[in-house]
Amino acid sequence: MSTARRQDIACRELVEILTEFLEGALDEQLRTRVEQHLVLCPGCREYLRQFRATIGATRKLAEEDLPPRVRENLLNAFRDWRHGG
Amino acid sequence: MPSATGDTGAETPVRAWKFLDSGHIAPFGGHVWPAPAAGSPGEWVRFSGREIFACRIVDLPWWIASELWEIELEAPVRAMETQVAAAAGRLLRRVLAWDSATLHAYGVACAERARDLALDALTRDGRLEEAQALARAPSMLELCRVARGLAGEARERLSSNLAGYGAESSMRASEGAAAAAANITANAVVAALDDPEVFDRERQWQAQWIAERAGLASIPVAAL
Repeated sequence: MSTARRQDIACRELVEILTEFLEGALDEQLRTRVEQHLVLCPGCREYLRQFRATIGATRKLAEEDLPPRVRENLLNAFRDWRHGG
Repeated sequence: MPSATGDTGAETPVRAWKFLDSGHIAPFGGHVWPAPAAGSPGEWVRFSGREIFACRIVDLPWWIASELWEIELEAPVRAMETQVAAAAGRLLRRVLAWDSATLHAYGVACAERARDLALDALTRDGRLEEAQALARAPSMLELCRVARGLAGEARERLSSNLAGYGAESSMRASEGAAAAAANITANAVVAALDDPEVFDRERQWQAQWIAERAGLASIPVAAL
């Protein structure tokens, strides 16, 4: 089997490792597979763009930007999620 | 000639090729590359903890994007399976022959090769009228429509399978997704010949197409 052809990756796989990809935490082989998938897949490229935009927007947020009620709701949602709710 | 992976042995800066998104933006990292100005190369780019990646001609089909640039890489240059890497690089010039029309033509050329595989298989199967219908398709969209119809019939046949590849490849070409059209065609060749090794051969054909249409072949790429 061609070594190059073995590198196909599914959209679902990419979504699962996108955070590691953006943090530069993937090994070279996997990072290359992700990038080759991005070349082929406009949907995943758009997902990456939105992901980056979200990271950029949240970086600009300070804790005090959050209204108390929203903050409480958010914390409750995280607590429920951690308890499997 | 370098090995498939490892140091190319180059001790002087090496010229290679780099695809970028519109506005000379790195497709994955979002970095805006400094463009050449007033006849001088762009500024050297060096990232902390990350290399600069570029293409040999044979690598081009893997990294298609809207802009193609000639890049100078700082030695030593590391050869990888589908790209080369160096600690620093700078843009030398944009390859103007690689424009939206050439990109579209590349996708169409690849889709037509997938169509031809289906045509051969249909003819061998005695499906002559269907082969003629496929051959007559005047556009990528029509080719996609006809091939899709043929792919739905007798799915176990190789000719139907290849019509399916032809439908997918022509659809991608019509959408302007040339890289995807090329990849589907390379997979169609594997299916047609039942030989995984021909995938790389089809990629080489694609690389040669790009090099010829973009006028890259005449530029020596030292040590690559």
